[in-house]
Amino acid sequence: MIPQETTVRAEMRAFIEDNFLYMHPDVELADDEDLLTRGLVDSLGFVELVEEVQGRYAVEVQDVEITEQNFGSIDAIVAYVERKRG
Amino acid sequence: MCGIAGIVRPDCGPAVPEQQLLRMAGAIRHRGPDGFGLARTPGAGFVSTRLSIFDLPGGWQPFETGEGSILIYNGEVYNHPELRAELEARGESFETSCDTEVVLRLLQRHGLSCLDRLNGQFALAYWEPGPRRLTMVRDRFGVRPLYFSLLSDGTIVLASEAKAIFASGLVHPEPDPIGLDQIFTLWGPRPPRTAFRGVSQLGPGEVVIWERGRVVAQHRWWTPDLDPIDTTSPSPEELDSLLRDSVRLRLRADVPVGTYLSGGLDSSLITALAQQETDHRLRTFSLAFSESSYDERAHQEEVAEAIGSEHHTLEITSQQIAEALPEVIWHTESPLVRTAPVPMYLLAREVRASGITVIATGEGADELFWGYDLFKEVVLRELSATDPVQAAELLDQLYGYLGPEAARRGPAWRRFILETGTSDDPLSSHLTRARSTAAIKAFYSPQISAEIGDGDRALDELRAGLPSKVAQMGSMQRAAWLELTTLLEPYLLSAQGDRVAMASGVEGRFPFLDHRVFGYAARLAPEMKLDQLEEKVALRRLASRVLPAGIAGRGKQPYRAPAVKPFFGPDAPEWVAAQLSDERLVDAGIWDPARVSGLLRRCRSGRVTSLREEMSLIAVLSTQVWQQAFVSESRSWQAEATTPKVRIDRELPSAEAAST
Repeated sequence: MIPQETTVRAEMRAFIEDNFLYMHPDVELADDEDLLTRGLVDSLGFVELVEEVQGRYAVEVQDVEITEQNFGSIDAIVAYVERKRG
Repeated sequence: MCGIAGIVRPDCGPAVPEQQLLRMAGAIRHRGPDGFGLARTPGAGFVSTRLSIFDLPGGWQPFETGEGSILIYNGEVYNHPELRAELEARGESFETSCDTEVVLRLLQRHGLSCLDRLNGQFALAYWEPGPRRLTMVRDRFGVRPLYFSLLSDGTIVLASEAKAIFASGLVHPEPDPIGLDQIFTLWGPRPPRTAFRGVSQLGPGEVVIWERGRVVAQHRWWTPDLDPIDTTSPSPEELDSLLRDSVRLRLRADVPVGTYLSGGLDSSLITALAQQETDHRLRTFSLAFSESSYDERAHQEEVAEAIGSEHHTLEITSQQIAEALPEVIWHTESPLVRTAPVPMYLLAREVRASGITVIATGEGADELFWGYDLFKEVVLRELSATDPVQAAELLDQLYGYLGPEAARRGPAWRRFILETGTSDDPLSSHLTRARSTAAIKAFYSPQISAEIGDGDRALDELRAGLPSKVAQMGSMQRAAWLELTTLLEPYLLSAQGDRVAMASGVEGRFPFLDHRVFGYAARLAPEMKLDQLEEKVALRRLASRVLPAGIAGRGKQPYRAPAVKPFFGPDAPEWVAAQLSDERLVDAGIWDPARVSGLLRRCRSGRVTSLREEMSLIAVLSTQVWQQAFVSESRSWQAEATTPKVRIDRELPSAEAAST
């Protein structure tokens, strides 16, 4: 079954909070907030984030798609997964 | 092989109290379990603890010349018989058959220019009371350590390990945030820095001259020249002959020599050559792991059988790693980012218990002959510019040994490796490792972050301090230079080498780190080191003559040890939770308890799978242990209680009275 947009949003928030936000206990993350610019996710963390999307939603991420536009915020990731799922 | 220590005042002043020297000797007695010696001249005192390898009945230190100069010396000069013969031909006579006396005579006769003649691994201090000059020297690659503190009154306190400096009571251990930040970027501190404020170390190939209260000269007597003028690639026969000679020299000892056998190419080659160069059955020692993903036992046994060595395997469990970590940190004197030194510590203990005190290993081959994955990443990064598809395919092959961990990795991982740094950044080869490691810094406490300052301080300083010759090197040569200078000595030869072996009084010897072998490798054509993804080509060809084809052709598998499970499994020792408690974290002041608690939550629930978090955990935990052992715990240092084997006392009675 294809997950709903709200499910993807909740799952990605949970993943980011669990994996990265514990290092930034004062941060209240908004869905449109830039994860890299705010220093919440570093370059190696970004790799983990992309791998999580790839594995969890069984989408085949292309090289050219690994951009901040697609993975830079919760909103961006949700939109990307939606697009990939058609 | 020994431990050395001393205190020298700017002027004759009061005597150096003997009790102070005995405490320093006691702190490094593990480096020299066979006994110790002591010397005092007006306003100066030295101790040496000895691990007897040459001239067992003689060869005790400190060594005194007829003019009253004193040498304390830790290490081996392997070509001492040849140097001795030359000196004897010129009329010198010797009291011992030990290499220490040869070094002393050479220093007296030729000064520091004699260092070029020494083939070995050593750290020494040479005291000339007349000019009140102390000359300290460290070997080319920094196999043997030497630390010093310069006090505000000009007194210099020196020792093989920082703990002996603290045992003097003249220096109080305090963390150096900049040194710590270097460790959490590059895995080890960059000389002259250490993890301790106010404690410096000589760099590899360095000389420091102190005179009457101040350092008057500090320079490198040897630096790794990776861009030689002579670019004619040397022959395979020359490598065969040089490496055999290096092994032959490193088998010289008046005690039996064994080898470490990892199952990989380098240690297998050294072991095979050592067996050919000796007339007794060689004893080989290997680490095995109860967790199969780290275990190389099958390869080790294959090599041991092919060579015919008397083989010994020590299987390490996660529980042993956790239990031994505090002892290891006591010896490394530095936090760690990996647990890999712990099994090496346990293996050295086993070696010593087996009656072996000298071990030859394959250390250095990966730096000289471009064996690490890091070198392949440089090649692939350059290939990626013209053929990104092939570069990505080759990268997947490169990390095949990681198994399921590699299979999970997709295009983002490839891009992380292939696009890290810009091609004009001289550190681009090392940014992948540095950035992975730097994830640790997210856990710094606010006060530590403030002391270190903004930006990538460790990398910025490294970049800014690169010699112009290095900045202009080709990308592979520069990567090799960086590997030699930022990882080999600061981490591999120190935390994972000298410290964990000498903790049990075991001396490591490294045939690849013979400067002649280094010179050969520097001249060798690049494709004989790394040909696309085939590493150490010249060594493989040599190995194919002395080892079974399966071993000579085997790909590199980095040495790793379990990181999280030992500390969070069912058998985790109690001290782990105590060290990671909020109270202890606040007390140590280096890490932010709120951030660390999130990491611990993930560790406890088994959700830590990334290298980033593994390294963060080991960094936090080992720093806590280190901080408690050296900084927050007040320690009473045990003075050496046995009778010294050598006692030289030229101190004046009036000065003695003044010091008490």
